[in-house]
Amino acid sequence: MARRKGTARRNWRFTVSAITALLLVGVALTLLVMRDSETGSRAADDGVATGVRAGAGPAAATGGFFARVGAMWSAAERVEQLEAENQQLKEWRDTALALSERMERYEDLLRMPKESFGVGSQIEGAISARLILDPGGPFKRTLLANAGSLHGVELGYIAVNEHGLVGRVVAVGQRSSRVLMLDDFQSRVPVMGLQSRTRAILAGDSSSVPELEFGSITLREPRMDHRVPVDGLRRDERIVTSGDGGLFPRGLMVGDAVQTRDGGWRVRLAASSRPIDFIRLLPYAAIPTVDGEDDPNWRAPEAPAIAALPRNAAPVAQPIMTPPPQAPSPAVAFSDPADEAPPIPDGSDERPAAPPQ
Amino acid sequence: MKASFFSPDTRRGGLRLAGLALLAICVVAPAFPLGPLAAPPLTPLAPLWAAYGWASEADEIEKIHRFPGVQAPLALAVIGLIQDQLAGGPLGLFVIINLAAFLIGRFATSAMRSPNILSLWAGFVAMCAGLCGVAALIAPFAIGGPVGLWPFAQSCAVTALLYPLVRPLYMDVSTV
Repeated sequence: MARRKGTARRNWRFTVSAITALLLVGVALTLLVMRDSETGSRAADDGVATGVRAGAGPAAATGGFFARVGAMWSAAERVEQLEAENQQLKEWRDTALALSERMERYEDLLRMPKESFGVGSQIEGAISARLILDPGGPFKRTLLANAGSLHGVELGYIAVNEHGLVGRVVAVGQRSSRVLMLDDFQSRVPVMGLQSRTRAILAGDSSSVPELEFGSITLREPRMDHRVPVDGLRRDERIVTSGDGGLFPRGLMVGDAVQTRDGGWRVRLAASSRPIDFIRLLPYAAIPTVDGEDDPNWRAPEAPAIAALPRNAAPVAQPIMTPPPQAPSPAVAFSDPADEAPPIPDGSDERPAAPPQ
Repeated sequence: MKASFFSPDTRRGGLRLAGLALLAICVVAPAFPLGPLAAPPLTPLAPLWAAYGWASEADEIEKIHRFPGVQAPLALAVIGLIQDQLAGGPLGLFVIINLAAFLIGRFATSAMRSPNILSLWAGFVAMCAGLCGVAALIAPFAIGGPVGLWPFAQSCAVTALLYPLVRPLYMDVSTV
């Protein structure tokens, strides 16, 4: 009897557990079937989303409220921090803009075609510089550039910008050099018309448009006098340096010829078509003279008497010419940490810290 | 009447300080690329105003200063050196011009018995004309060659035109 009761209870438990398992399997299958159908899935998602939203909304609102209340304690500090960051960002932006502009100007300078430097210019030794002072006085028209002897600049270097000739270095300091502008009263540059080949002396008169003075050009050696017909020049003709006298290379762009009402000629300077801010300082070595030629007691070396030489002797070579012009000595120390905007040496391999071209 | 940059007469002292600030701006501004308004000849030669004003007040100043008759010329010489350095010209040219302005101003104002604005203005114009003569003599020698005086004359003209406007900054109005 008791055994029969135990067996019946065990069967009942088994049946209940089996039915439960089957029900759960059925629910699971139903869920799977509903998941496959879009309607069921969407309904389930919507339900879940609604539930989550309903639950999460108040929770988030409550959390945000407490976070805001907590943040109020440090709000002033945070504002100060943000303002400081904003100020720093503005400074960086200004710096970036300034550097970008400077880079553009340097790129313009470096992209100048080789022909625009004239014949014989030593472009490899050119030094880029920024002008730091304008001509300040009524008596002299000079510019101050931020490159000096430490950067390799020497007296007589030619100053050009991407448009044309600016002037010539007349004074060199350690970190700066002064450029005599073309329109200074004392500036005299031999020039010529590119088409008509009319030669003239460009003479500054402290006006914005230098005057063209026609007449003879006096060179040291050999001496050649030019009588230039005034009517040879054409209006708007391109004026370039003629290279006479050896101070400037031939072919440097100077400007355009303009005729004044009184019949005179002036040059509209190409370099001043835009404000002059960055320049390149070019070394230029003219044709060298014979050693000792400047000495009044100098005499040309005499050739050996032919009769005194054996018939099959080789002729004796007499080195009378100086070696070809060399690029100026490289800078002793290029980079100066105190200098705000160090000039860029353009081509010298010996100078350290040369920026990439 | 005490005349000093830090005079007990605060209004006068303030005007003098304003004059000094204007002078500094006019001397330094042409050296920077600020456009044609801040370049010769449109920028006046403010040291000429100061020289003329200080010359007219020299007697008053000498009464209160420790080294009478020295400070104004010394200040003008220093200003001239700064002008020369900034302009790239030979050192000393503007020193001579400023000191010549001071001397001419001394003669001009001492010659006026009852100065008024017109006579002072005429004296200033005469001083500028005299300075052009001084520059014509000195500048070619200083620079070592021919010099164009036209820009300097233009600057002098602008300075003389503006003189009545800035006179209170450099000259005690009550004394004249």
